[in-house]
Amino acid sequence: MRELFQYVPGDSLIHRLNPITKLLLTVAICAAAFVTDSLIFLVLLLLIDLLIGFVAGVPKKTLSILKGLLKIAAFLFLLQALLTRRGQPVFWIVTDQGLLTAGKVVLRLMVVCMPLTLVLAVTRISDLANALVQVLHVPYKYAFTLTTTIRFIPQFLEEMGDIMEAQTARGVEFDKARGVKKLGMILPLCAPLLISSVRRADSTAVAAEARGFHLRTAQSGYKRYPFRMIDGIAALLCVLLIVFAAII
Amino acid sequence: MIEIQELTFTYKGEKSPALQNITLSVPDGAFLGVIGPAGTGKTTLGRAVSGIIPHHFPGDYYGRVTVNGLDTVDTPLTDLSRLVGTVFQDVESQIVSSVVEDELLYGLENFGVPHEEIPSRMAFALQKVGIEALRDRSISSLSGGQRQKVAIASIIALRPRVLVLDEPTGELDPQSSRQIFSLLKTLNEEYGVTVLVIEQKIMLLCEFAKQLAVMDQGRIVRQGETRQVLADTDALEALGVNCPRVAKLSRLLDQPVCVNLEEAEGLVRRLIS
Repeated sequence: MRELFQYVPGDSLIHRLNPITKLLLTVAICAAAFVTDSLIFLVLLLLIDLLIGFVAGVPKKTLSILKGLLKIAAFLFLLQALLTRRGQPVFWIVTDQGLLTAGKVVLRLMVVCMPLTLVLAVTRISDLANALVQVLHVPYKYAFTLTTTIRFIPQFLEEMGDIMEAQTARGVEFDKARGVKKLGMILPLCAPLLISSVRRADSTAVAAEARGFHLRTAQSGYKRYPFRMIDGIAALLCVLLIVFAAII
Repeated sequence: MIEIQELTFTYKGEKSPALQNITLSVPDGAFLGVIGPAGTGKTTLGRAVSGIIPHHFPGDYYGRVTVNGLDTVDTPLTDLSRLVGTVFQDVESQIVSSVVEDELLYGLENFGVPHEEIPSRMAFALQKVGIEALRDRSISSLSGGQRQKVAIASIIALRPRVLVLDEPTGELDPQSSRQIFSLLKTLNEEYGVTVLVIEQKIMLLCEFAKQLAVMDQGRIVRQGETRQVLADTDALEALGVNCPRVAKLSRLLDQPVCVNLEEAEGLVRRLIS
């Protein structure tokens, strides 16, 4: 979880895409997943997700995300298959319609969840924010909120880990507890975590202000994000993907 | 220059003031070390100079602080920060980016440093702090000491006229601590930057700081040239400042104060012969 949003440096095709193109890619895959009604097309989209992960040079991460999603997917599949009442029964109370719907739901879930995480892994958040400001003219305030939020996630986890370690050192048996019991032990930690987070957010605001936060304009960014040939091709592919999704 | 006149500050919600009647004048090109026991207002003093007090911390504020003639109460924090670079004690909270390079770029971009000048500024800061190799690293993958160096480099790159550093070597090993102080010395001597550094490591201050201010319970109890302040080791010890052994030795021998090992060696040799 800690590495989930960590940037993986590299020079892959996906790395070199304009951050906006990468966002477009994500949006296109999600849109295609919702537009289409074909199980095979959804499988194809999932394969595209995996392909993106492999081309981006983060196969391990791709598979670990897939593995994590499979657990949730299995649960959802079961629930959906058992609750759908339409169609011919296949065995017990499960119907063919139920299986089909369940399959589509979980595939859609997996297809939609993967690209953003993958794209974020190969894009510096700051590049994304700067590109949003420069190209899409998103106000810097919002871009900063986005980057800070994503940056805070690993920090939260780190801090949570620290608090738990500190409590373990003083005899709280986090390592032995499981399930609901562990959850019950973790919940009281939210107060110190919240307090330290608010404090940190405040300090970061001061630090940002002390380095000219209010002076920043859309032109401040040192890096430029031009659209190149590969971005054009990627955008074209995105459009084709959605069109196909609509046709099939 | 930094001019503090009869500054008394009480944080909102606190009963006793964090700073009491502070009067301090730091001329241009000074290298002032601030030392004192924990909880005596050193950090508050740093914040007052960089304008974070009163702009960010509410409270009762009496007196006047000016930096290069700008009153810190009337001048917006953004304008002040063009002049004063601040390195916070809590490094984590100072960092605003995910990657080292972006952290350095942040201030440079905001303050509108000409784009053709940015690469050389970044290279300078990275090289001086000794973290060129970390340039493309993700900050969450760095150690505490490395993060501290990144925070320092990101301020150095801005080339402020005044530098305020709150325990900049808190997470650093002895060698890196010396490296940072050598850098401060270079900035001070070659570039004329006024340095105000809050530090617990007295040996570093003795060696690098030109002036010392000793704080106790919100007041400045001793201030002057480093050598002159150190001469009174008994008073410093009474305040809980751990004087360097060379200073104590020279004091015990009733000789002019020594601030480093070479001087002490010279003193002992002279006395023996």
